Amino acid sequence: MNRTSPITLLICALGGEGGGVLTEWLVDIARHAGYAAQSTSIPGVAQRTGATTYYLEVFPVPLAQLGGRRPVFSLSPVPGTLDGIVSSEMLETARQVGNGMAVPQRTLVITSSARTLTTAERMQPGDGRADAQRLLDTVKSFSREHHVFDMSAMARECGTVVSAVMLGAIAGSGLLPFPREAYEAVVRGHASDPRAQVDKATAASLRGFARAFDAVSTPRAQAALVTRLLATPEPDALAPTPLPDDLALAFPQPVHAMLALGHARVLDYQGADYAALYIERLQRVLATEQAADPAGTNAFAITREIARWLALWMAFDDIVRVAELKSRASRIRRVHAEVKAGPDDIVKVYDHFKPGAPEVAALLPAALADRVIAWDRARQARGKAPWAVPLKIGAHSVLGMASLRWLASLRGLRQRGSRFADEQALIDRWLAAVVAGTRNNWRLGHEIALCGRLIKGYGSTNERGKANLLHVINHLASEPLPKCTPTKRADAIAAARTAALADDAGIALDAALVRHGAPPRPVVAQPIRWMKRAPQVR
Amino acid sequence: MEVSFSKEIEALRLGAGDIFHGEGILAITKGLLQSGVSYVGGYQGAPVSHLLDVMVQAKPYMDELGVHVEACSNEASAAAMLGASIHYPLRGAVTWKSIVGTNVAADALSNLSSPGVTGGVLIVVGEDYGEGASVIQERTHAYALKSSMCLLDPRPDLGRMVDMVEHGFRLSEQSNMPCMMELRIRTCHVRGSFECRDNIAPKISTRALMSEPAGFDYMRLAHPPVTFRHEKLKGEERLPAARRYIIEHGLNETMPGEQADLGIVVQGGLYNALIRGLQQLGLADAFGESAIPLMVLNVTYPLVPEQLADFCVGKRAVLVVEEGQPEYIEQELATLLRRRDIQTPLHGKDMLQAAGEYGVEVLATGLTAFARKWLPGHSIDSAQGWLDGNKSRRAAVAAQLDAPLPNRPPSFCIGCPERPVFSALKLAQLDNGPVHIAADIGCHAFGTFEPFSMGHSILGYGMSLASRAGVSPMMNRRALSIMGDGGFWHNGLLTGVQSALFNGDDAVLLIFKNGYTSATGTQDIISTPDDESKARAIDKLQSMVAENQTIETTLKGLGVQWMRTVHTYRVDRMRATLNEAFTSDYNGLKVIVAEGECQLERQRRIKPWLASLLQRGERVVRVKYGVDEDVCNGDHACIRLSGCPTLTLKDNPDPLKVDPVATVIDGCVGCGLCGENAHAATLCPSFYRAEVVQNPKWYERLLHEWRARFLRWLQPAQRGGQPVSPA
Repeated sequence: MNRTSPITLLICALGGEGGGVLTEWLVDIARHAGYAAQSTSIPGVAQRTGATTYYLEVFPVPLAQLGGRRPVFSLSPVPGTLDGIVSSEMLETARQVGNGMAVPQRTLVITSSARTLTTAERMQPGDGRADAQRLLDTVKSFSREHHVFDMSAMARECGTVVSAVMLGAIAGSGLLPFPREAYEAVVRGHASDPRAQVDKATAASLRGFARAFDAVSTPRAQAALVTRLLATPEPDALAPTPLPDDLALAFPQPVHAMLALGHARVLDYQGADYAALYIERLQRVLATEQAADPAGTNAFAITREIARWLALWMAFDDIVRVAELKSRASRIRRVHAEVKAGPDDIVKVYDHFKPGAPEVAALLPAALADRVIAWDRARQARGKAPWAVPLKIGAHSVLGMASLRWLASLRGLRQRGSRFADEQALIDRWLAAVVAGTRNNWRLGHEIALCGRLIKGYGSTNERGKANLLHVINHLASEPLPKCTPTKRADAIAAARTAALADDAGIALDAALVRHGAPPRPVVAQPIRWMKRAPQVR
Repeated sequence: MEVSFSKEIEALRLGAGDIFHGEGILAITKGLLQSGVSYVGGYQGAPVSHLLDVMVQAKPYMDELGVHVEACSNEASAAAMLGASIHYPLRGAVTWKSIVGTNVAADALSNLSSPGVTGGVLIVVGEDYGEGASVIQERTHAYALKSSMCLLDPRPDLGRMVDMVEHGFRLSEQSNMPCMMELRIRTCHVRGSFECRDNIAPKISTRALMSEPAGFDYMRLAHPPVTFRHEKLKGEERLPAARRYIIEHGLNETMPGEQADLGIVVQGGLYNALIRGLQQLGLADAFGESAIPLMVLNVTYPLVPEQLADFCVGKRAVLVVEEGQPEYIEQELATLLRRRDIQTPLHGKDMLQAAGEYGVEVLATGLTAFARKWLPGHSIDSAQGWLDGNKSRRAAVAAQLDAPLPNRPPSFCIGCPERPVFSALKLAQLDNGPVHIAADIGCHAFGTFEPFSMGHSILGYGMSLASRAGVSPMMNRRALSIMGDGGFWHNGLLTGVQSALFNGDDAVLLIFKNGYTSATGTQDIISTPDDESKARAIDKLQSMVAENQTIETTLKGLGVQWMRTVHTYRVDRMRATLNEAFTSDYNGLKVIVAEGECQLERQRRIKPWLASLLQRGERVVRVKYGVDEDVCNGDHACIRLSGCPTLTLKDNPDPLKVDPVATVIDGCVGCGLCGENAHAATLCPSFYRAEVVQNPKWYERLLHEWRARFLRWLQPAQRGGQPVSPA
């Protein structure tokens, strides 16, 4: 019985990446080289941005030497029997590895390091992205040999599509018994003269092919590339920002980097007095932490985290801040780069704003603000939509920029406004909880400090975050809980924080609260319209 | 149409001795022409869409041959088309996706099978079963059994598949039975080669017309009392004739093996997977030489009792490899062995799993059990080691990954006009409370995936309005039915709209009018904007679907009183219109036509146009949306309201913040949804719309330069202290 078996290759791509063309090329190359080959695929609706795979088998002995016999190929990839996996997206590579496709004894894996995030990863209020390092480690552990590089970037740089890059990677790996020229010939469309002029798209494909070919076939360059990709930057390595000497003396070294950034942020936001308030608040936390952890075994992590979250909270986002950020000269330059405008192109930038009653009230003194809010509530009670002005401001126009600059100049108004006072009260409430928690147990204080992450953004997002934080502080940080130790309390707060960032409806958060013996958040009123009809009798 | 088939059309012209290289489904298409088919119809659906698509695009060549091609409005109309072969010696073929398409066609198929056919009939169904399937997991086999149609399941080898097409027509003519050919997904998309024969121009064709209709013959009607006679004919004449043909022409293949006292009966379509499974056990070589004799059923109905009895008799054991449930072939084989008192032990679903696709791993697991029992001398250690290795490796990967990987279902394309409607629907439900949503088949079914996760039921193509008829009378809130224009014309107009109007139902129907049947490959339908209006349009960027008013006039003609047309990208207006429909005092059928051209088709139209403008140095405005990274709050509410693939995340450039910020990547087509959502939902103010003017006019440039000067004067130099975030 003949034991020779086909070379097997699984190709993973996303819909619209040209995986179909790639497999067609490969089958064509095999045919022209005189080898039996077969490919299959399951495109279906996956062509609409979903994940899909293509599968190729090539018999390693030329047809001419088979004596008229024809190999029987499998139509689907067989787990554990693959010679190669080539994938344009890292999560999809890991998925196939997870399906048992790759084996450390046999499979060569060539994968793009690029991620195309799934909707599930993108839609979470916090950071729902799959851990790229873990994906890469999995690929490494379950492959005979692996090549990792950013195929999307390579394709972009060469002005071509990712399928050409994948073809180059396959050719460079030497997995299939075809010479480089055979691959290039198919890209050229088998033009009789290999030196003949090719059109722009073909030239770009050939460029992408060559880059990938070199990346995979040149082991040393490749190894260097992988090392660079694998070297994750130290998460705490912050850009050095100079710190005023007096502050450097007042705070321990581990806090410095974050403190410098935070202090600069608050200073930039509302001036020196406000920055002084920031320092004063931070010192209160530092004093408590020093008392709770005099040896500094935790490297002043509470103070460090408060330095971060307090700065962000104190520099809360409002229309003044947004106008300030949107009207900076650096911003215009960034937009030009993002939209890839040519030097001779004109770029018009329109900003979408929709300030409503709360945004206006925020800048008014409390008494006046209350009246504005009450007016808006009354409007809504009459069945009208909340008052808001949808604006499309042309930041490239004179009038638009002048408006933005005028808004940005209202910094003074902000400090006298109602929202400013509200935010300060809430900040103090949170800091008091952190201080009380830290006195009780260092970890408890740390967990409450980390809850600063819940505060972000504008409008309803911001309101939701504040409500969640208040609920956690009231029910998990201070109120008596059944059979509660400080450690359990800390666990409960950590769980609630993670849950609060899982979905915006707060379903996970409520579940976590109840699990730890706290009440769920109060039900928020939601309008429901019943269309009452008399029971129909016919 | 999404794909252009110019190369494939050339391949259809190949003659005797030429070698065809390409996909399975196109080989079948070539097979039809080699069989002298007179007419071809069908309804597109993966995995058989290409058959019809390529024929539609090859119209000039089809006209040359005299072949009539009809893109039918649904599978029922395709099946009814086969009625031509009842009286006339016309070979006809139709195609669709099964099981769903066969369900729709069932009525016509029953009424076709009863009188039987004169001209050969071949129904090519894409058996959408197993990995990659998008429909209910059921087998077409049951239809062949109940209506007495032959069922071909050819070995996935292009040459064999084409042979079976030609045999299928002759088999149909010899037995008067319609023939179905089931092709699995991977078989349709397999790339291979075969040696062609010449195409045959049909004797009766659009070029050689019949002059007289057939005479009246009551026997050709599916009408009592002759239906009783038909029933008898099926068993007494047609099935025996079919069996004779199968034997005489060797349609099923018997392959010998050294273990002559064992045997495997396999559906033709599973042959390759079975061989790979046997290879894993060391029981077959690379060329399909098997140690165990095989009976490959290229025809799975009718079975030929003598052939199977001969194969089984005297063997120690036989294994039936039959995918899906129930195990029709195994049961019939058991009956025929029992009747003949053949004592050969029979295995099948006792060793192979009942449900799901028979991949190599599944088959090898069953074969291992078979070998353990009947080939105790043959070592299965290597195969068992491989199977166990797969299992333990999967467990090890799962452990290393810690959390399950997020799924990646298909979703709305970049700039899809249907996405904004789901954004609006999400917002409308905040205004008036959650509603029951009857979903449907089509691209809009992607609304059932994240981030929208909407839809309570899917009952079939075009069935959404009908499927809420029992819900809305029982509920104190209005239910919403969602339908595409594809589904509307396929079925929804009659089963839904007509019924709701007749019964005076209080219903809300939203029709996606994108101009094409998009999920199946953007084929044209009756409401597709015509080429003339596309060519006439001065602003080619705009959606063209308003040019065709067939849906609106049809609804008006039927008597729909409440109808609103809303451009889908106007999220606020769509939200208001939905609210109006949910709360209106009008208690009849309320129809919202959600208008917006399929973005795939729009891009296909405008890309070459824009390229030509740029080449001529003319003014072109390109729109792209973006997010200011320092303004974005990292909450991703915009993504939960959109899900656009180009609206994604990147690391937060602000070292103080930890959550990633939203970003718009290359590929954004500037559809405008980001801005609309930002306004409609009062999202954060981080979105901007950038209009890049390429080749601007001289006065524009002048104005721009003056503006830039003013802007520089207005903008302060970066204030002292630290820049707030790296720009």
